[in-house]
Amino acid sequence: MLSATILSSLVVIAVALVLLQKSTLILSTHSLSELLLSSSWHPWKNEFGYYAFIVGTLWVTGLAMAISTVPSLLMSIYLAEYAPSKLRGIIKPMVDLLAGIPSVIYGLWALLLIVPLIRDQVAALAGVTTTGYTVLAGGIVLAVMVTPITISVSEEVIRAVPRPVREASMALGATRWQTVKHAVMRAAFPGIAAAVILGFGRAFGETMAVLMVVGNVPKVPVSVFDPAYPIPALIANNYGEMMSIPSYDSALMLAALLLLLVVLLFSILAAALLVGIKRRYVVG
Amino acid sequence: MCEVKKRLVVLAAVVIIASIVAYNYFSTAADAEGTIRVSGAFALYPMMVKWAEEYQKLDPKVKIEVSAGGAGKGMTDALAGLVDIGMVSRDIYPEEVEKGAFYVTVTKDAVVATINSENPVLNDVLTKGLTKRVFYNIFIAGNVTTWGQVVGKPDVTDEIRVYTRSDACGAADNWAKYLGKKQEDLRGVGVYADPGLVEAVKRDRLGIGYNNIGYAYDMKTNQQIEGIAVVPIDVSQNGRIDPDEDFYRSRDQIVQAIRHGLYPTPPARVENLVTKGKFTGIAKEFVKWILTDGQRFVEESGYVSLPAEVINEQLAKLES
Repeated sequence: MLSATILSSLVVIAVALVLLQKSTLILSTHSLSELLLSSSWHPWKNEFGYYAFIVGTLWVTGLAMAISTVPSLLMSIYLAEYAPSKLRGIIKPMVDLLAGIPSVIYGLWALLLIVPLIRDQVAALAGVTTTGYTVLAGGIVLAVMVTPITISVSEEVIRAVPRPVREASMALGATRWQTVKHAVMRAAFPGIAAAVILGFGRAFGETMAVLMVVGNVPKVPVSVFDPAYPIPALIANNYGEMMSIPSYDSALMLAALLLLLVVLLFSILAAALLVGIKRRYVVG
Repeated sequence: MCEVKKRLVVLAAVVIIASIVAYNYFSTAADAEGTIRVSGAFALYPMMVKWAEEYQKLDPKVKIEVSAGGAGKGMTDALAGLVDIGMVSRDIYPEEVEKGAFYVTVTKDAVVATINSENPVLNDVLTKGLTKRVFYNIFIAGNVTTWGQVVGKPDVTDEIRVYTRSDACGAADNWAKYLGKKQEDLRGVGVYADPGLVEAVKRDRLGIGYNNIGYAYDMKTNQQIEGIAVVPIDVSQNGRIDPDEDFYRSRDQIVQAIRHGLYPTPPARVENLVTKGKFTGIAKEFVKWILTDGQRFVEESGYVSLPAEVINEQLAKLES
């Protein structure tokens, strides 16, 4: 069992090592600061600047988190604290089901619904013209995809808060909402933060659904109505050209390595928070 | 807790063993019958499906799996040994030959520019055509930004919304080559896949894009896909579409025009089948069939058949 555990964690290290080894070529010909801070992406001219892609990823992910975090927290509070158990028994599996839908289906849905909506209605309201393939479309589809993950984890965390915490608060004369707000939420905070971070990790690395609606233009977006080009889409779209130019191959590997490190960092952070909360209630 | 873990491990072990057994079972079963795996260019996909169907009729023991994913995927899959045949609808780069890419040319088709059929200046575009220079200014330079500028009607200020392919593909490579550039230089919103680009232009009154003729024309009716219009190229640059430049109404017409060189190359181009090293075994037999008997189906599928001497060259190359 131990060896199986070690083996599975070794896979991550093995992936990282392969990516690192493959990216040495690009790192030896371009400085890291040039790669990260230049927004000129012309592989055939040997120019590899990730800046537009990094900023694009952050825009789309940030927007998704801004849209999804508050509603999904409210939903998980409702499910954990207010909903009758029968209703929870229906809603919870549905939310879990949402988390399991293949991302290409979300992508299609957004392509058919969100993109035209933004082009024809939202853009007119905002007084801009756009193709609909925008940061906004990517952010919305990601928000929908992240919501079930955040709800699922934070609902578990809230329900894991021990009963005595609620009873003590109620005994002091607090209302139900006051109890939730001041006692339960405080106790569950690290876990909720972990839920949000897990959602962020998911959003950061999501490829297909975003790729289909975000426009894939390697330019730094300046508003939500601009197209963007997140890193996962860069890799997915261009791995076909990898074989043609050696440094292209290497540049995509480095992009993959960056992506892996960021997502890994967030997962570790979330895990640490969750371990912390577990320890607090099991031991203390 | 330990009990649960134990169960999980047992479950995992069962799943792994089952999948290994299943894999071996199915792969040996497949080997006995022979499977040819093909992936790559959207441009060649409909043609390859037709070839695969006909070939499997002749030799039911052979199974041919065809998937589309762009020329880049075809090349990468072929070089990585993931498929037996990669479909590549662009030139093969020297770097790829160096890595062991071996290819034969099997047919010819073209990339055409497409606009929405409700374009505000549709009639002007169709009667005057667009010159290479105008295409360059729209797709590369970005200094022609309204449909009024395209047809010389300054009072039309509707902006041009340019669409391009996001995935590495032959259509983009050839369209860019026509304009003297690379795919990375094409402006516009990147949409995934050939059908995706058709949809994007179809849904945007002000859109312009480019497609393989296989996706701009309907397979069954031979006519242009409803909702889009193929943009005629003003090759002679005299400001109008002359009778000898007017061949966009049906797929048959444009195929004839490509054959006779009336439609410029690029964006017309040859289609290649690629493998790593050499074609061998049943894949080689299949490719040989494509170059001989399979050529019968080329015209009826809406592609341009190659001259006999080119075919013979390819056959010699295959055997070399």
